[in-house]
Amino acid sequence: MESFREIPAGGKPVKRAYVALMLWFVGRAIQAAARVDEAVGEEFAALPEGFAFSLEVLPGGPAMIVGKDEDGRVRYRGWRPAGRRLDLRMKIKNLEGALLMFTFQESTATATARDRLIVDGEVPAARAVVRILDRVEVYLLPKIVAKLAVKRYPDWPWQEKIANRLRIYAGAILGFP
Amino acid sequence: MFRSAHSFVFRSPTKVLSGARALENLPVELAGMDARRPLVLATADLAARGMERVMTAAFADSGLTVGFLAGVPARPDRELVRDLYGLYRDRGCDSLIALGSGPTPAVAKALNIALSGKPEDLEAAAAGALEDGRPRPLAAIPSLDVSGYEMTRYAELASLSLTAPTAIPGLLVLDRRTVPAEDRKTTAAAALLTLTQALEALLHPDRNHLTNAYAHGAARFVMENLRTALKKPAEGKSRLALANAAFFAQTAFDNLSGGKIFCLGLAISRRCALSPGLIMGLLLPHGLLMEMDREEDPGKDLLLAVGGMDDHALTGKGPGVRKAVDRVVELLLELQSLIPEYPRGIRDIGLRRDDLEELPDAVGEVAGRGTLDPSEVRYLLDKAWETRF
Amino acid sequence: MCLPGYYEYSCRVKIVAGHDALERIPDLLRRLGARRPLLVTDRGVAGAGLVGILREAMGERLEIGAVADDVPPDSDLEAVNRLAVLYRESGCDALIALGGGSVMDTAKGINILVSERGDDLLKFSGAGTLKRPLKPLIAVPTTAGTGSEVTLVAVIKDRQRRLKMAFVSYFLLPDAAILDSRMTLSLPAPITAATGMDALSHAVEAYYCLGKNPLSDVTALAAIRLIGGNLLNVVHNPSDREGRLAMANAAALAGMAFSNSMVGMVHALGHAVGSVCGLPHGVCMAILLPYGLEYNRHKREAVMGELLFPIGGPEIYGKTAPEDRTGRVIAYIRQLNEDLHAATGGRHARFFGEIRDREGNHAAPRRRLPEIARTALGDGAIFYNPEDLDYDDLLMVLEAAWEGMPLDSGRIRKG
Ligand SMILES: [Fe+2]
Repeated sequence: MESFREIPAGGKPVKRAYVALMLWFVGRAIQAAARVDEAVGEEFAALPEGFAFSLEVLPGGPAMIVGKDEDGRVRYRGWRPAGRRLDLRMKIKNLEGALLMFTFQESTATATARDRLIVDGEVPAARAVVRILDRVEVYLLPKIVAKLAVKRYPDWPWQEKIANRLRIYAGAILGFP
Repeated sequence: MFRSAHSFVFRSPTKVLSGARALENLPVELAGMDARRPLVLATADLAARGMERVMTAAFADSGLTVGFLAGVPARPDRELVRDLYGLYRDRGCDSLIALGSGPTPAVAKALNIALSGKPEDLEAAAAGALEDGRPRPLAAIPSLDVSGYEMTRYAELASLSLTAPTAIPGLLVLDRRTVPAEDRKTTAAAALLTLTQALEALLHPDRNHLTNAYAHGAARFVMENLRTALKKPAEGKSRLALANAAFFAQTAFDNLSGGKIFCLGLAISRRCALSPGLIMGLLLPHGLLMEMDREEDPGKDLLLAVGGMDDHALTGKGPGVRKAVDRVVELLLELQSLIPEYPRGIRDIGLRRDDLEELPDAVGEVAGRGTLDPSEVRYLLDKAWETRF
Repeated sequence: MCLPGYYEYSCRVKIVAGHDALERIPDLLRRLGARRPLLVTDRGVAGAGLVGILREAMGERLEIGAVADDVPPDSDLEAVNRLAVLYRESGCDALIALGGGSVMDTAKGINILVSERGDDLLKFSGAGTLKRPLKPLIAVPTTAGTGSEVTLVAVIKDRQRRLKMAFVSYFLLPDAAILDSRMTLSLPAPITAATGMDALSHAVEAYYCLGKNPLSDVTALAAIRLIGGNLLNVVHNPSDREGRLAMANAAALAGMAFSNSMVGMVHALGHAVGSVCGLPHGVCMAILLPYGLEYNRHKREAVMGELLFPIGGPEIYGKTAPEDRTGRVIAYIRQLNEDLHAATGGRHARFFGEIRDREGNHAAPRRRLPEIARTALGDGAIFYNPEDLDYDDLLMVLEAAWEGMPLDSGRIRKG
């Protein structure tokens, strides 16, 4: 068996870093959108008290966590899901699947239809989180990209969209609480 | 037409992952079966084509350690199975990945039978008497140069022919990176072999709703994608569709048995240098025409599979088989014009007149054969002998 | 045929079909290394004499360890726990689930407990928690509709903790599904009609929703062809064994299709009507199916048009211009509902407004539509629906389905 070789598990540091950065940004953007956008705020309000969810990449991260404080404020809670109480965990099966999503080659709907995600938790909560993600994506992405990312591009008044977009970007970058 | 004519049993134990980044989903699937140290088997040829690198890249970030053995010969034997058995045990492996088609999945199946149960299971499988048992995780990642047996219960090794339903790989990964473009002859041969398995399944006396469904899917994919796969080999989607088709057709075949075209094609290929698929292509029109006088019913399904919904609908009440044969001949002629070295008939492939006498019996050695009437095989042979396309 | 950019498909269940398929059970179990199954069923099934037929088919060749014929209509944790104890005390080594969706789910739940030697089912809920094959499970469906004999999901209610636990694993799939015409011969006409429409909705939604793939397509097409050719006929002629077997096959085929491709808004709405008003699932499917086609039509015109081939037959398909095919499909399904309505003496409902309970009140009152729409918003099937749906969209569809009016295409917001 001279042709046998053992290939140790390697890594993909660049792709990992990219996905980690995207997750961080999206997490903070959700935090900002919860205050800026009325619909996102309402979605969070309807979720149970103290609700927290994660979006993770299997097997070992990266990840992002967003949750509601006791006072109902929505906060980005970092990238370490281990040991936390989470009501909902959405796990992308592998880094390449995450990359397809965060390079916007696959929308959330496509990724779901393609079994890229494993959802641990209640389905209605997962539906709410995906609606939030869709809305945040519309704010973050230029229309030409966002149109592919969501099933139905909303016809919001453009002044409002631009104003909210700026506030969400500022919030995500500067991390307003 | 809408009736379930008889009772049947159908089983397909395989989970298929097909398409973009399918390979990267394999570690999650293995982990779901508690497998963390797969042993990958491949031929040296396939490894030389960069498959090791593809696998390494796919398993990076998965946390799994992969053992890679690139040395499966074209005619693997029992010795190899024994050596691999030792290697698997020594290295603490817990699952198998067969990368490529032909000999590699055959060895992997034999090895899996040996690993999963009692040592004497290989003998039982050789006698076709191994019915149960819970196999270890085995993932097949076939390339386009299929033998027709990859996803079936059959494993053909040198001097060892195994039959065991539990040998069917539980996972199938189809990813355009692991279905590299082959030369035109290989691609056409694989597609024609697949088409033969599919169409014979549709005509099989024991066919059922599920074998029909799988065979239909296989035939449609071949008819819709073969031309593109030959003309634009770099275009991955059509190659992937052909690889899917092979799986569908093999599943139908596995649940029924091989028809006369398939079996005769294999038997002839053992006597000459042409690949089985290309020979089956030369036999196919004749074999199908033999069905024309039998029943009206499968003719319609045949045309639906070969020509698609619109072709079928336009034919109205006309003869289904006849038109299906026309479509197959059109395809054959087109293949012959694309592949200059594709012979025009079985007379041009080094077959001797004497072989015609022996072939009806030689068909009996083909794995997965059904009950074939030697006189029908002879009739088919004679018809094919007389024809050049 | 479509080849999506990526898909997964699996149906490991061995399908055993025929007028004498039951007789194969002893041999199937023996090959799986089992000899003493627990028979799980419910009162209705036992009352219809199906346990007797099954026992007779087993004859001397199989000893049934125990019969549990009191599975509740909604599979719940109490029954699972109790029957797991019965399984252990009776020295069983396998399970036979004889019944509809609830019996199947209960048997799957029992199988988790007895195979993993656990006592808390909750520990195994969610996806990916099961890593090993479970005890042999043979599924014998007694309706031709749900397809749960080939699905990998089980939903079990925990009434105490007020939870609905979902279990998802390939190891939950039965080892074999037995499709025997004797099991559905006594099914009353309205249930035959409703469950048949459930199967049709599985196949149709599988064919046009986002998870469609080549294998869900070919199984869905085969199912639709069988349903189109047999459903009305078995409602008219309940004792037609061939028709019954064809429908059992169709339901299993459709089950394979949708459990791999998933379903869309028809099921999202149907689940919600079921949980808010308690209407049977198949009844909701029959009413809602045309609306799923109408609502998503602008995104799936070509794919939906192909359905005319198995539904209407090749001749009608050939004579209809491509742009008219989807319309014909929708009209055909509406007509099928009308025909089933007539064939059942009016008991097969065509719209929600005509369903009355025993007191003569609306079983799905119009004022509850908003609540239904809100519930549907949280249903996972919406993920797989081609067009997006918000609360207003869901309510609009429900209003139309309550009245029995086609959707106003001008009101569908097209993304
Ligand atoms: Fe359903």
